[in-house]
Amino acid sequence: MRPSCKLFMAVALLVFAGAAMAAMVRWREAGRREAARTIAAVSAMGVTDICVATEARYTRHPAVSDPLAPFMDHPGAFEHFPTGSFWAPVAWRRTASAGWGGGS
Amino acid sequence: MVLDKHLNILDYALSSLWRRRLKVGGVVCVFAAVIFLLASFQMTAGALTTAATAILRAAPEITVQKMTAGRQESIPLSYREKLRSIFGIRTVVPRVWGYYFDESNGANYTVLGLDTWMMPDGGSLGDAIVGGRPPAAGEAVLGPGVRRALGLNGRKTFSFFRPDLSLKSFRVAGAFHPDTALATYDTLLVSLDDARDLFAIPGDRVTDLCVFVANPREIQTIAEKIAAALPDTRVVTRPQIEKTYRAVFGWRGGFASICLLTALAAFIIFAWDKASGLTPEERKEIAILKVLGWQTADILTVRFYEGAVVSLVSFLLGYVSAYAHVAFFSAGLFRPILVGWSVLYPTLDLVPSLSPGDAMLVLVLTVLPYLAATVIPAWRGSIIPPDSAMN
Repeated sequence: MRPSCKLFMAVALLVFAGAAMAAMVRWREAGRREAARTIAAVSAMGVTDICVATEARYTRHPAVSDPLAPFMDHPGAFEHFPTGSFWAPVAWRRTASAGWGGGS
Repeated sequence: MVLDKHLNILDYALSSLWRRRLKVGGVVCVFAAVIFLLASFQMTAGALTTAATAILRAAPEITVQKMTAGRQESIPLSYREKLRSIFGIRTVVPRVWGYYFDESNGANYTVLGLDTWMMPDGGSLGDAIVGGRPPAAGEAVLGPGVRRALGLNGRKTFSFFRPDLSLKSFRVAGAFHPDTALATYDTLLVSLDDARDLFAIPGDRVTDLCVFVANPREIQTIAEKIAAALPDTRVVTRPQIEKTYRAVFGWRGGFASICLLTALAAFIIFAWDKASGLTPEERKEIAILKVLGWQTADILTVRFYEGAVVSLVSFLLGYVSAYAHVAFFSAGLFRPILVGWSVLYPTLDLVPSLSPGDAMLVLVLTVLPYLAATVIPAWRGSIIPPDSAMN
C-alpha cells in the first residue's frame, strides 16, 4: 500500500472518531429534560448566574457582584482565588444614559 | 498526471518523515499537545458560554442594586416606591440573598430569600423541585450540593448561625432537581423574612430589587429611567448579563493568556530551530535531489507536504483529544482552575462548542506558523547550488 493511502486512512479514522464522539454527545443531550427544569428555576427565582465555582463571589455571581472585586478586598489586595484566573473580570462602566453597564 | 506527480511527491515526503520517525513523532506529540490545550480551553469556554446564555435568557429583566464606595450594599425598600412612577414597570420584587459559610465542611452556600408568589413566573418553581414544594415560613428548599453537604441522613431540620451566633432553624420543604444543578447546586431557597432573619438585615432593607417590565423591548429605556431616578444604584439588565457571560470566558482571562503564551512560546522555539538552518543531512538530501534533476519548486513541495502532514495529523489528534477531554471528562485537566478551592461544585456535562470559526482560529494560531517555519528554511536550502551543498 502506498504511504499516501495509509495517511488518508489515518486522517479518515481521526475524522470518523471525532464525528462519532460528536454524535454520541448529541444523542446524550437529546434525552435530557434539564434545560426546561433549569429555566423554570431561573425564571421563578430570578437567578442571574450559573453555578460553576463557589469559592469567590466574583466567580459565583460575576454578573451582579462588585466590579473589580478581586482587587478590592483591601487596598493593595491581590487575587488569590484560583478561579479568578479562569474567569475574566467584568469591566463595569458608568454611562450617563444607562447607569452601570457590564461589558468586556 | 498532475495528481500522480503530487501523490508521488507526497509518498516521498511521507517516506522522508518515516526515516526521521522518532524526531517527527516528538514534534507531532508536542504540536498535538499545544493544539489540545488551546482547543480544550476554547471548547470549554464555548460550552460554558452556551450553557449560560441558554438558561440565563430567563434571568430577571432588570436587577437594581445599591452601590456605596464602589461596593454593593443593601438597598432601602423605599427605593421600590420611587420606581412606581416609571411607566412600563410590571412589578418590582425585593430579594435578600447572600453567602453562608458552613464551618463544618468549608462550603459556601448561596442563601436566597424570596417570596416566590411575587415573581411573575413563581408558579413554575414546582417544576424544578422534586419531592416537595416552594418554601413557607421556616422552611428551605435545598440545592443538590447543599443537600449532600449538610448530610441530613433523613433528618428534616437543620440550623444555621445568625451573625450573633444564635441558631436559626429550617425545615426541609424539598430539594431542587439534580438536573437544575447549573443554577441551583449551592442554593438554599427560603422566604424573604427568613433570609432577613438569618443575615440580620433590617426590615426596611433588601439585597436587590428584581424589576419586570411589561414590554421586553423597553428594558433598556426603563433601565435608563431607573438609573436616572436612583443615581446611587447599579442597574443590571438581562442583555448585560448575557453580554457578561459572552465575555467572562474569553481569551483575556489569565488562564487563557497562559494557554496562548504557551502556544506562542512553543512556536517560537519551533521557528528558532527551523530558521536557524538545515542540518547537514537535510542539505545533502536537497543537493542529491537537485543533482538528480529535481527543481526548486519540487523540493519546496516536498517540504510543504512534510509540514502539512505533520501539522494536519497533529491538529486532528489535538482537536479530537480536546473534544473527548471536554465532552467525556468534563474538562478534567482544567477542573482545578475552573472550580478552584470550591467545596461545592456541580458535575459539568459540557457540550463542546464546534464552529468553523473556532477551528480556523486554532489552525491560524498553530498550523500556519509551523508551515511558514518549515517552508522558508527549505527554500533557503533549495536555492543553494548542489555542488557547494555536497561539499
